[in-house]
Amino acid sequence: MKTTNNQVSIFGGVTLAALVAVVLMPLLLPSATLATEILIFALAALGCNLLLGYTGLLSFGQAIFFGGGAYVASLTMIHLGFGLMGALLAAMIAGAVLAALVGLLAIRRTGIYFVMLTLAFTQMVYFLAYTMSDWTGGDNGLLDVPRPPLTLLGFEVSDLTSSHEFYMFVAVMFMLIFVFARRVIHSPFGTTLIAIRENENRASAVGFSTNHFKLLAFVISGGITGIAGALYAMLLNFAPLSNIELLMSENILIMTIIGGTGSLLGSLLGAGTIVMLGDLLSSIWPRWMIILGIALIAVVLFMPSGLWGGVESLIKRWKERRRNSAERAAKEAEAK
Amino acid sequence: MSLYLFQALNGIGLGMIYFLISVGLTIIFGLLNFVNFAHGAYYLLGSYLCFTLVSLTGNFWLALVVAPVAVAMLAWVTEKTLIRRAYHLPHTFHILITLGIALIIQELSIAVWGPIGKTVAVPDVLSGVFRMGDFFYPKYRLFVILFTAVIALGLWLLLERTRFGALVRAGSEDAETVSLLGTHIHRLFALTFALGVGLAGLAGVLAAPIRGVHPFIGPEVLGLAFVVVVIGGMGSFSGALVGGLLVGLVQSMMTTIWPQGASLMIYGAMAVVILLRPYGLFGRA
Repeated sequence: MKTTNNQVSIFGGVTLAALVAVVLMPLLLPSATLATEILIFALAALGCNLLLGYTGLLSFGQAIFFGGGAYVASLTMIHLGFGLMGALLAAMIAGAVLAALVGLLAIRRTGIYFVMLTLAFTQMVYFLAYTMSDWTGGDNGLLDVPRPPLTLLGFEVSDLTSSHEFYMFVAVMFMLIFVFARRVIHSPFGTTLIAIRENENRASAVGFSTNHFKLLAFVISGGITGIAGALYAMLLNFAPLSNIELLMSENILIMTIIGGTGSLLGSLLGAGTIVMLGDLLSSIWPRWMIILGIALIAVVLFMPSGLWGGVESLIKRWKERRRNSAERAAKEAEAK
Repeated sequence: MSLYLFQALNGIGLGMIYFLISVGLTIIFGLLNFVNFAHGAYYLLGSYLCFTLVSLTGNFWLALVVAPVAVAMLAWVTEKTLIRRAYHLPHTFHILITLGIALIIQELSIAVWGPIGKTVAVPDVLSGVFRMGDFFYPKYRLFVILFTAVIALGLWLLLERTRFGALVRAGSEDAETVSLLGTHIHRLFALTFALGVGLAGLAGVLAAPIRGVHPFIGPEVLGLAFVVVVIGGMGSFSGALVGGLLVGLVQSMMTTIWPQGASLMIYGAMAVVILLRPYGLFGRA
């Protein structure tokens, strides 16, 4: 885990790297739908990363916000005729409110008891969603979720029916949220979250009311994850019960960790790697998740900064080698 | 009336199986201060080994002995190779590593035994029902209650009356001091981990003829075991027993009325206990 205390401009290299990835993905990947799925899970991982990577909170509650966002967006579109942005806004609020409720109770405990509380809440919400099948469709999921057109000031910009147009919309949403998350992390608020992660007692001794910060981190994480859930329902035209399952929380956590906690690009890398692996391998080798298990253990024991940490150290080594060779060249020139 | 008795007995049987799973989890947490999210996966493995041994030899009793021992040996190897590297890390890391182990065990199990559930036949001696007056009860389920009661008693004696048990209890209080007093603490840790996980394997074997074997049962079992452990108090033997019976009884009484409601209730109870009494009903602050 690395600290990110240094001042960085919001539109700096990291944002540029994310932008390049977002532009290249639909060109390099076999389908725009796959690319869209990657960005949606990257958003969910981003939300998870704010809690785990930056605040040090391991939450099994992410599925509540993801599934909750999916259900609320779908239901407001089906029953209340909400448009695209209205449904996304509703999902964001739903995710944030659910996260506030979960957070309010869960942060009263720390360590393993905190984890257990988030686990208990996810299970309760799952069984609640299962029972309320009039609203959620129960085991069958919520069918016929619409994907409303994108309108701006009354004009229809795009009907979003083609997978490429929907990808572009999701990509814009992703970049906006990515920049927002970066802004949050590099604000004094984000620095305080990192202080809590590094040593909560110290942060509270310095005078920060750490519970308020943890709660706000939950709310932001829940809002982002809620939007991701809503976009996922629009992508599939369907909101399955598995959205709100404990397994979804685990998947989001695994993407976040394998990608690299404490770096936003790590979340994109983690979601991308795992969604792509699943897409490539699940047809030829249905048991491909064994790789995830091994990778998870390897990352936790040997590579705590994840795949992105690996990429970063490669970049660093490459830069050092370049500097060394430049120095050598300078010395040789001097000797002559 | 006899329906209630029937369901109460079902609940006790189920509860004793939950006890076996949870007591391992709780002993491991107590001594090793280690959170084992792979516990449900080892239960799954116990069930599958039971299936294989019964279909190969037709002898359930062989499976009852061999499968838990095999699971315990695998746990011992895992402890030696992976788990012990994580003791010094925070609980979050324990959870993630064992989540990885659980994923590997589950996927390997599906690779070996296929994605469709299996059934295990009840041994001949115990097939049929036990009747008393106009009350009937399956013999095998009665056997499970009696057998797990004997195991529970044996385990209690092991923990309370033997040198090993004394070391485990002392280590739960303060592992470092026990180690300084000349006990090979790593061996004790490995043995305890193997014992706790072996009990989960045993629970898997005993449950197989009743509930069958399903490849995705691991997470469900794990969740229930955590409910039991939390309600009873982390590290508490009697807590695991009472918690297990409570959860089993609630589940069995609710099956005919509202099975999802049972899950809502027990996970709700878990949350309430953590919030109001984080050391559980039987744990010490």
